[in-house]
Amino acid sequence: MTVHPTECLLRMYEQHHELEDYQSGVPRWCTGCGDNAILAAVQRLCRDEDLRPEKTMFVSGIGCSSRFPHYMKTYGFHGIHGRALPVAEGIKMARPDLNVFVNTGDGDCCSIGAAHWIHAIRYNMNMTVMLHDNQIYGLTKMQASPTSPRGLKSNTTPRGAYLEGLQPLTVTLGVQNVSFVAQAVDWIPEVLYDIISAAYRHKGLSFVRILQRCPEWLPKMLDPWVHDPLKTMLLTHENGVTPSANISKVYKTQERHDPSDINRAREIASIADPIPVGILYHNPDVPCYEELRDAGQQRSTRFIKAGLEAEFDKFTVWPQGADTNARPNA
Amino acid sequence: MHGQTLERSEGSNGNDQGNFGMLESQAHIAFHLTGRMPRGEFDARTQGGLHPAILAGYQDLTALRYDFPVVLVRTGGDAAPVQSLSVLVDAAVKNIAQDSDAERLKRHAIRVEREIRKLAAEGATGTLSELWDVAVTRLGASNDELLRDSLSRLRAALKTDGEVIDCDKAMPFRLFLHAWQSQQDQKTKNYWAKINKLIMKLSDILSSDFVRSKEGLSAERLRASVGGMDQDAFDFDAMSRLLTEARANEPLPENRRQRVRGLLSTLRSQRFYSPAGESDKWIGAGEPYSFVFENATDAVAAYRERLPKMIELAKAIEIAKLEADGEYSEARHDAFFAEFGGNGLDPSDIAAFPQYLICLPAADLRAAECDLILQAFAAGLPVKVVVQTDDLLNQSPITGELLFSGLRGRQLASTAIGSATCYVLQSSSSNLFQLREQVLRGLSFPGPALFNNYSGASETGIPPYLAAAAAAESRAFPSFTYDPSAGATWASRFSLGGNSQADLDWPVQRLDYEDVDQQLVSENVAFTFVDFMACDPRCAKHFAEVPRPMWDDTMRPVAELLVRESEDLSQVPCLLMVDGDNRLQKVIVDEKLMRDARACMAAWHSLQELGGVHNSHAAALVERERKSWAEQAPPATEQAPPAAAAAQGQAGAAAAAPIEAPAAPAAAAEAAPETPSNEPYIETARCTSCNECTQINDKMFGYDANKQASIINPDAGTYLQLVEAAESCQVSIIHPGKPRNPNEPGLDELMKRAEPFL
Repeated sequence: MTVHPTECLLRMYEQHHELEDYQSGVPRWCTGCGDNAILAAVQRLCRDEDLRPEKTMFVSGIGCSSRFPHYMKTYGFHGIHGRALPVAEGIKMARPDLNVFVNTGDGDCCSIGAAHWIHAIRYNMNMTVMLHDNQIYGLTKMQASPTSPRGLKSNTTPRGAYLEGLQPLTVTLGVQNVSFVAQAVDWIPEVLYDIISAAYRHKGLSFVRILQRCPEWLPKMLDPWVHDPLKTMLLTHENGVTPSANISKVYKTQERHDPSDINRAREIASIADPIPVGILYHNPDVPCYEELRDAGQQRSTRFIKAGLEAEFDKFTVWPQGADTNARPNA
Repeated sequence: MHGQTLERSEGSNGNDQGNFGMLESQAHIAFHLTGRMPRGEFDARTQGGLHPAILAGYQDLTALRYDFPVVLVRTGGDAAPVQSLSVLVDAAVKNIAQDSDAERLKRHAIRVEREIRKLAAEGATGTLSELWDVAVTRLGASNDELLRDSLSRLRAALKTDGEVIDCDKAMPFRLFLHAWQSQQDQKTKNYWAKINKLIMKLSDILSSDFVRSKEGLSAERLRASVGGMDQDAFDFDAMSRLLTEARANEPLPENRRQRVRGLLSTLRSQRFYSPAGESDKWIGAGEPYSFVFENATDAVAAYRERLPKMIELAKAIEIAKLEADGEYSEARHDAFFAEFGGNGLDPSDIAAFPQYLICLPAADLRAAECDLILQAFAAGLPVKVVVQTDDLLNQSPITGELLFSGLRGRQLASTAIGSATCYVLQSSSSNLFQLREQVLRGLSFPGPALFNNYSGASETGIPPYLAAAAAAESRAFPSFTYDPSAGATWASRFSLGGNSQADLDWPVQRLDYEDVDQQLVSENVAFTFVDFMACDPRCAKHFAEVPRPMWDDTMRPVAELLVRESEDLSQVPCLLMVDGDNRLQKVIVDEKLMRDARACMAAWHSLQELGGVHNSHAAALVERERKSWAEQAPPATEQAPPAAAAAQGQAGAAAAAPIEAPAAPAAAAEAAPETPSNEPYIETARCTSCNECTQINDKMFGYDANKQASIINPDAGTYLQLVEAAESCQVSIIHPGKPRNPNEPGLDELMKRAEPFL
């Protein structure tokens, strides 16, 4: 089928962006912070998928993770604590053509933002959610977070945290309409990139929990897993992630897991040691809220105004009840 | 086939049969060869009032259920634009019939359908609902309770409505016009959907510029934009002054403003698509263009006249799309669009515009017109030409006699096929309903299309449907479709669909009749070209009826003698026909008609070959392959594995290459950890971009294009820095190697620290 000549000509002029073109400013994160790795992976994704900066949006709440939009040379929204997801959903409804990414942390998403988190999964709007899980409140200088493991000594738990840490994967997999759940670790950049790439390409809410080191407050906590490759279990499958030969040589613990198997996914989600890394669940057929609600109408000012007038008229002009015949033709 | 009753009447000249025997067959032969009857030899009534035996059951079309009349469904929605009355009635019955009254409903439904069919045959016009009501009154439903009940329920179950047309002379043009119109409406809807968005966005550009301009920020406008009660709270002059001075607003560049205005006016004033329902946006002058023409000259002239406007509109749409996304750049795009359409429009662009429908009666076609049409096809003009032949027998300009030809239509069809870019559909009108998918596909084909049609409405006294169907069956006017969009090969493009028993010379039907002993006899009879000619009273002089007593074995069926050139001159071809009382008769056919029939058969054979039936090339190829197979039978078994191996070998070679490639890096990766290298290095692929090493010394450690670190200059720093970097690297991928500068202080200490990282 021949391509339209106009399109051909226009494509000749499209700009290609390098990785540095997506970098805005020098990150203020501590050296060694896992956020840097996530930033590098996301910038690689933007370059490889040739995402147009003016069509890409990073939305965040509050926390170290939520500094992310400042360092991406795209549109960004650094919102208030816990509300990254509702803002992102609003953006998606108003502008479904934008690529929306959400950067949220373990406090922002699982603590104050927990309510929004549950329903965002149900809405399944097409966006990529990255949970930067360093298992501590970092920006506010070391308080225990919902995902902190039991026994962790922090400024709010000097005698050690009393509760088992929340497992974000099991929670997400337990919500109706879940369509994509994956876990990554920030010290295996290649697999991190593959997972984020698959998450971007999935149409629906892609939830990626990224286990992240905090070199400032918890420098040694993840050491056993970082230094012993056998304690990381790679989940491999043609429909999931297939690590390269180099990675497979080092990370020998692997399990072949079909991402469409939700039962096994839930079992894997409960495993803390070895850390499972890969795509736990992927269902491409779950409908997205913005498509279900797309009225197909042009939302011109006149149309919206006419609708509003009709509604207000019900209270002021026709108080005895709504008369649908009175609605002006939009 | 209906069974027929007939009786063999007794020969009137019973005693004389024996004497006449020899002379009669000679007379038969004489007639056959010369077409003239020797005077007074036998009672050869020309077949006034006779028709072919196979058509015996079809004399009263209103008593039968068949495709016609069709309902031209009102457009809008997913219903097919053309539906058959019988199909609609059947669907209605199926929808509402429960077991108890299914039988009754079906019976009554058939009665109404038959009544409507009669009405249509009598020439009544109107929509389905109108004719339904008339039919119901005619059936006297007011008297019969049950009938009234079924009819009202059926009426409620009939979901579609539209004009009812029977198969008559006007039907083909009306059908094509209706189908074309429904596609046209769809195109118009698509156009307005696209354009409304663009118009809105372009208007937004202009209005947002206005709102930010000095006029838009004037005190009056600001006052008007604030609600009633708060208007007194503001000093609008001051507000206006502040807003206009403080903001350094760049107005829209004048070029761009003019361009956007120009686009808006072009998009709204176009005359190609009717503005029905969008009249508030349309500002065109005059009426929207009409695209239905009665002759090719007008159509081509109109196309030429409108071409600049077409190019302008297509260009405006493209520029508008760019402007709406804010991507129009004068430096890049002005030059391109200045030349837009210089080479004519792209076919996909043309396909979005309305197509030109030209309805031509073949009798009015002159050579100049045909020539123009063929040139239009060659130029790829978006024309859909419907040629309707009403009479297949034309006056030959050479002999003055009536000739079977239908020449104009055939000429156009064959040349159009030769062009390989034109969609061609040839069909009798009786087949048009069966081929409706092809009709719709041809009308939506992005390029020229030709529809060659035979309506059967010559003045022969036979209902047009029957004549058309007879022409189709007898291969006098076979159907075929040539669809260039269906594939690249002849096999995918050309189809003989719509012809019955396309693999035979003539379609064969079973004829049941009762012989003189009242026994049922069943015969397979072919419906040939000669049968078709026998329907036409103008050909009567080619036939001679033979009275029953003189029937003998020298009279063979026409189909038999067409195939083999008979050496035996004593055999004459004859046709089975029935008279007004449904009695079987036999008539002899003269040689002239047999020649015509053979020519028709040859033409049919070429069509068959084109359609892949009994294709001589394919047969020759199969024959050759079979011979070569037979000759190489023993070595064939060895050939098969090499052939398979050759196929696998290619795949194997392809597989071998990637296997080697990963093996090489794996080997390299193997090599790397095994021998601790003296050179410092970083396992770049595993770098997490955490900035630890680059913070220590950004001349020694640097990021690559993927923001992963490597040692860019090992001499740009000290061994201490290398060791520190190795210790602080989060994933321990920095290997300091051996010190490069032996004069560096504290090397022993450092090398001890570097040990775990080597």
